Amino acid sequence: MRFQDASPDARAVVYAGIQADPLVARAAGLLADATQDQRILARAVMNGISTDPAVWQAMFPSLFGPDAPSEGPDRARSEAILAASIQVADRGEQVRSQVRGALVETVTELLVRRRPGLASAAATRIRRERRILFDGVRAEIHPYDLTIETPGAAEAIDCKWGARGISADVLFQLDDARTHAADEDEVLTATIVVFDAERSCTVRLDRQTAPHDGTRLISLETLDRLAGR
Amino acid sequence: MDPISTVGDAIATARPAYDDLTALAEDVEDEWSYVNDLATAWLERMAAVSDARGHEPAPAGVAAAVTALAVEVRLLDDPHRAIDWLSTFPQVLLIALGERP
Repeated sequence: MRFQDASPDARAVVYAGIQADPLVARAAGLLADATQDQRILARAVMNGISTDPAVWQAMFPSLFGPDAPSEGPDRARSEAILAASIQVADRGEQVRSQVRGALVETVTELLVRRRPGLASAAATRIRRERRILFDGVRAEIHPYDLTIETPGAAEAIDCKWGARGISADVLFQLDDARTHAADEDEVLTATIVVFDAERSCTVRLDRQTAPHDGTRLISLETLDRLAGR
Repeated sequence: MDPISTVGDAIATARPAYDDLTALAEDVEDEWSYVNDLATAWLERMAAVSDARGHEPAPAGVAAAVTALAVEVRLLDDPHRAIDWLSTFPQVLLIALGERP
């Protein structure tokens, strides 16, 4: 089993620009430290139509209501997440969709880099947009969003904004990577990260005939497990 | 819209907007079954909360939250976005009620 950079096709070049957008890095940094309510706020605003902060403040009383903290770090983070999410929502529909995808990948990477034991050598072990090659197996067309290339504890991660992004293609690719690794006596964890509720992911997965029992699901509720928490 | 004074009122008041959202999402024919499975799963969760806590007073700010949520989803005209909101809507409602989705 070996890892390889994906060839930079036109889609990858455009997407690299989205991934490098400072708004993605800023929003991801906020969401990596966010509570579940704050992450749901981001999901709602980035899916929404309204760009008036007052609309969203009314919709999230746990963050902005009369019983919520009126100051302090949690309130400041809620305000910052709301502002960043509105900026994302303000982009055109196509760009917004790409930004949301890049955002989930970046949050995932930030959290994975917090894993105990990975931080010291993280730069070389955690990579984006990589293929995984196995002897005698044709390479997959699509690279994995994130790979952890630690010998003996490798991981392939695909990231989705919503449960609807869970598709047969994604599940087959992740399961193939896991089973091909096992064929080579290597351990590779296959993970799908979805910035959506576990309930919605479960409904989606229940409809899939593609193998997924060996794929780990990380949902919006369990994002912090990526950091080993 | 009836006034919202209890958790049960909040869920009942939110329900018509969720039903409209489901109807809009059903326009994506390839996802019709998924849309209905998704809506059913979340309606069951909302019903469970209503059964357990329906008579409790609604937490502060819930009435305004439900109104804002219903108004927001009624702005949608894209069935694909409606599918995203079929999952997002109940999460927003449930955390307003102090529940985990």
